[in-house]
This record gives sequence, C-alpha cells and structure tokens, in this order.
Amino acid sequence: MRVPYLFVVPALLAYGAVVLYPTVAGGYYAFTDWAGRRVAPSVVGLDNFVELLGAPAARAALRNTLVIAASTTVVQTVVGLALALALHSSLRSRHLLRTLFFAPALLPPVIVGFLWQYILTPGGPLNGALAAVGLSSLQQNWLGDASIALASVIGVIVWQNAGLTMVIYLAGLQGVPVELLEAAEIDGANRWQRLRRVTVPLLIPATTIAMSLTLIGSLKLFDQVYVMTGGGPGYATETLSVVMYKEAFVSGRYGYAAAIALVLTMIVFAFALLQLRGLRRFQVDA
Amino acid sequence: MTTTGTHLRRRGVAAVIAATAAVALAACSGFVNSDDGEEGDGTGSGTVSAYVNTEQSAGLAPLLEGFESETGLTLDVSSANTDELNQQLRVQLTSGTAADLIRVSPGYSSPVAVGVLGQEGELADLSDAAWADDLTPDTASLADVDGSVMAFPVSRNAIVMAYNREVFEQAGVEVPTTWSELLAACETLAAAGVTPIAAPFQGGIYFQFWVYAMASTLVYPVDPEIDERMRAGETTFVDSAEWNAAFARIAELNDAGHFSDGMLGIPPDQGLQAVATGDAAMVLMVSAGLPQLYGYSDAGEEGFGVFAVPASDDAGATHVPLAPDFLAVNAAASNPDGARQLLDHLAQPENVEAYANAMGVLPGLGVEVTLESTVLDPIMPLLDEGRTTGYANYLWPNGDVQQTMLQSGQEWLDGSITTEELLGQMDAEYAKGTP
Repeated sequence: MRVPYLFVVPALLAYGAVVLYPTVAGGYYAFTDWAGRRVAPSVVGLDNFVELLGAPAARAALRNTLVIAASTTVVQTVVGLALALALHSSLRSRHLLRTLFFAPALLPPVIVGFLWQYILTPGGPLNGALAAVGLSSLQQNWLGDASIALASVIGVIVWQNAGLTMVIYLAGLQGVPVELLEAAEIDGANRWQRLRRVTVPLLIPATTIAMSLTLIGSLKLFDQVYVMTGGGPGYATETLSVVMYKEAFVSGRYGYAAAIALVLTMIVFAFALLQLRGLRRFQVDA
Repeated sequence: MTTTGTHLRRRGVAAVIAATAAVALAACSGFVNSDDGEEGDGTGSGTVSAYVNTEQSAGLAPLLEGFESETGLTLDVSSANTDELNQQLRVQLTSGTAADLIRVSPGYSSPVAVGVLGQEGELADLSDAAWADDLTPDTASLADVDGSVMAFPVSRNAIVMAYNREVFEQAGVEVPTTWSELLAACETLAAAGVTPIAAPFQGGIYFQFWVYAMASTLVYPVDPEIDERMRAGETTFVDSAEWNAAFARIAELNDAGHFSDGMLGIPPDQGLQAVATGDAAMVLMVSAGLPQLYGYSDAGEEGFGVFAVPASDDAGATHVPLAPDFLAVNAAASNPDGARQLLDHLAQPENVEAYANAMGVLPGLGVEVTLESTVLDPIMPLLDEGRTTGYANYLWPNGDVQQTMLQSGQEWLDGSITTEELLGQMDAEYAKGTP
C-alpha cells in the first residue's frame, strides 16, 4: 500500500514547529545561561543542574512535589474508589450525588485556588464553621502555618479531583461481570472478600488510568499552589513547577528554569513508566 | 523502478521537510544580530504603540485624545496588570515585538527594570528631553543609567500608614510621630480589643512595605552611600548596623504581638477589609491602594487618615519611601520620535496635574501642581523637605534579593530563621550582581 507522505507533511511541519522544536530548544537552553535577552546564551554545561541540586529552595520544592504526588495519588485513588463503590448501587440519589462529587473537577484550577484561599484564611468560612459547631479547638491558620500548609493544599487538590477518579472507577465497575460476583457469593465469599478478591483485581486497568493521571497531574502541579500560597509561607508549599515559573518569568533566568523543566519531565516520565509497569503485573482478565 | 521511485519521492519529501523546517526554525529564532534593530522613521508621524500597566492606562486615557488631535499621531495602547506586563515584556523585547513606549520597573528591581534594560541597550536615551530637568532627586537616581536619563515618571507612590479615624478616636489614640509613640498607640489599641496593625503578609507583598519604610528612615538617611558600598563589597546586609536596626524594628512589633494573628495566611484584600471594618486600626500600604481601602467602608475617604510611619524617636528624621511609575522608550521603537512627543505631552504641568488628580497619586515630576485630594497632605511636608527615599529594593542589583526577602522573610516572621540568616540569604543573592 502506498503511503501518502505528502499529505502528512503539513501536519508533520506543524507538529515539528509547535512541539518538537520548542521541546528540543528547551532541552538545549537547560544547558545555557540564557536570561531571555537578544544575545545568544553561553553554554554552561551542567551548572544549572548542579545549582538545582544544591539550592535549598529547589530541594524543598522537589521534596514538596514528591510528597504532593505520593499523597494525592494514594488518597485520591482511595477516596475516588470509595465514592465509586458507594454510588455503584441502587441508591435513588446516586445520579445527583455523582454529579455533585464530579462537579469540582469541572472548575478551572485557578478558580478553585481563589475559592479555597478565601475559605482557608484565619477568619474564613472553614474556621467560622468549626467555631459554630463548637470545634474552635480545631481552628487553624490553614495556609499561613508552614507545618500544615502543604497538607491543606493536598486536601484541596483531592477535593477537586476525587470526583474524576470516581468517574473512572464507575466506568470500570460497569465492566465487572455480575456473574463472577454471584459465583463468589455462592462460594461463601463475604462482602469484603468479594471486593478484595474479585472487584479490585478487575479494576486494575481503571486504577492504572486513575493513578497515572493523578500522578502526572500532581507532579506538575502549579495553578492551585501559585494562587493559594505562591509557594509559601516561606518555601513550605513550593513545587518544582512554581519554582520554574518564578525563575523564568519573575527572575528572568530562563536557562535555569529550562533545567528545572527538564528534570521535572524526566521525573514525570520515570514515575509514569514505573507505575504502568508495576500495575500491569496485577492486571487480570475477567 | 517502483522502489527507486519511492526512494526518490522519500528523498524529495525529506528535502521539503528539511528546507521548510530550516525556514521555520530560523523564523522562530529569538536571537537577532545587534545591528538588526529597526530604525525609527524619524518623522514623528504615524502610529505610536504603548504597553502600559492598568493604572497607567486608566490615568492616561483622558490625556491621549488631545494628543492625537494635536499631533495627528495615532496611539495604539495595550495594558496589563504589572506582574503580567513584567513577565511578557521581557519576551516581547527579546522577540522584537515590544511597543514603542513601555512601562518599566524602577532601578534594578526586575528583569524589565530601567537599570537592567538600560545597560542592555534596550532603552532610548531621553537625557535631552526638556522634562529631564524636572525629575525629583528621589526619582532621578532611579531613572538614571550610567549618567543618562532613560525613564519618565508618570506618577509617584508613597508608602504610608493608613488608619481608621473612628478606631483611633474611640481608643483615644493620637497619630504617632515617633517610634515610642507608635508602640504606645499599639498597646492602647490592643488594650481596646483592636488589632493594632493589619498585617496581610500572605505572599510577602505587604511585608516588604515594612522593610522599605524602616530602611527609608533608619538606613538611607544615615548611610546614603550604602548601596554603592554594598556593590563594592565593602559592607553587607549582615554587617550593616542600619539594616539590622531596620529589621529589629519589625521584629519588635512582631514580638509584641501588634501584627494580625495568622498574618502569613491573610491575603492583602482581607487585611484592608479588617482596617475598613475597624477590626484592625491601621495598615502600612502604598498610596495608590488607598481607593481600594476606601471602597471597603461606608465612610469612604473621610473615614481614614494617613501618616508617615516613624522608625525612630526623632520625629524630624522620619522619611517616606517613594516609588516612581515609569515609562520608557524602546530603543528599537518603530516610531521613537512619536513616543518622545507623547512623553513631552505628558510632561506638561497641566497633564502631570490631571494624571495625579485622576489617579489620586503624587505628581511624577517636580512641577507646580494643585492636588484636589487632601488625603496625602500629612506627608506633603516631608516631600517638600526632601525627606524621601526610593524603595530599598530598587537599587539592589537584581530582583532575586527582593524575592528572597519576600519568601525567607516569612520564615523569619514565624521564627524559623534568625535575622542574621535572613540577611545572609539576601547577601548571597546580592553578591550575584546584575545578570
């Protein structure tokens, strides 16, 4: 069969100009000291990467990024699965509840950031609600206390995206054969054993998708953090994406920012690959 | 034959892709030879493009109609908030798409500051403009790059303490003129159940006002050459007794509990609202933000007063930090003469006055003007006596010193790091010099 190469050329050119060239150029700038000026940058070898590894702020950002990624991936998966199992039932209000739980995922992350920044201020609605129900002792400076700010950010991310994970699991649950569950029940398996031995193994493909999306999204997390805390207080919620943005667009250190972007890309790639391979081992056929 | 034909076609396609890609890559390249800058048409006619911040856009709009009709020039004005503008302008200058007239930061405070862009040759020399003689001393030093004037001040902002008149009256507090009086006022207000000072330090923007205000009185009047000496490596933040004194003042207020509870989690708008509602008595802010404060209160402008925050027990030593809001002419402007004409138009005393009155700011140039608002009257004597300084960060060699102060300053406020550690981190960024 003859391949119509000429028809592919425009698409290839567009792809090359919009995706490939910027990607390769970004990789090149990571090894330069480019400050965004109209003069060619100097190649500085691995200096940007050495600085990245040595800078306390960057190390804190890397640590925070990994903590956010691990936490949100685990918590969001568990919460999303729990919601899906609860709402994969004959509950009369299930459609309304599914819509309500999924709704936050439809909001732009920046809007979510602004909303929660307001809710979590010391005199904001959350502390007000706690006081109203006699739980004043639980009031916190949610985003202004360095010891809990990161947890607050993680909570907001899970709140927004758990509904998306729930929808993925609901779709997965449609593919779990009823006869298998019935057979397990006849064999004497209780509710927990049916979930543990039948449902969860058959949901591995859905888990792979849900965890991959969550992991990649949380590794490159920017919007909510930038809006809610700007990386603060101090460096308590700084992520690699926020540091990259500040270095490029606030400090004008585009070469260093490109190095951060390259490291982040490699981390995302490595984690996504490991996760896909790891989960594939547990995959079973219905 | 078929194989050969396909092979040839493949090679042909590859050649087309390679050639087109080469053209595309060349077009995408952000680097140009320094000789490639566009020359202005030198006619003073045609279109003048401008990229300004939103405040400048609002203040300039009424002045531009007359300019267009007088000169026959057409203006193409774009605007964005300052943060967004700063981020985009660097890219526009690099790609050769920047406007003729651009908003630039003072001194060396960002990658698009006058000092940084002036040294890179991105800005036109405006030293021969008639208005250059009307620059006030606090502004002139920030508009100067190697002896040349490279920026025009549209207006100036001051850092002032805004206070709720009713709260002060109910607590029986007079406007403090010395540091001891300020501390006493805070104690009286705290005893009355009011937060003495709203401290919306989330993000650090309002924290920096305290640093600049303390430095304005305690650092620069005492050691006017300190920036030169720091650049020469003769002293540092850590070694400077004046800088240590400035941070000690802020620490004193913080340790006494005079700032808002949970200050690192309070965003600026909520800090202003606290003062407007009377939950807090005062807030240190830029004068350009006063209309926002008034908007939160039914009392409006009448409900608030301002004063220069004292930092020592000599009332006559108090200085006010001032910041110019600059415009500059792009060195590669398509219409540099038109851009200069526009600046000359804005420099007319009646236009300086009109802009200041429309925006409620201080006049950019030191010309005779009559301000309609009396809000800033309490600080005008200080301006008349020359008791002003620029914001401290403007003459720091790069924007990262300020960024470190903003972020590490939060750690300092919550006690995670000492003053010496904070100043040491700022010194480390300072030592990197201007990029």
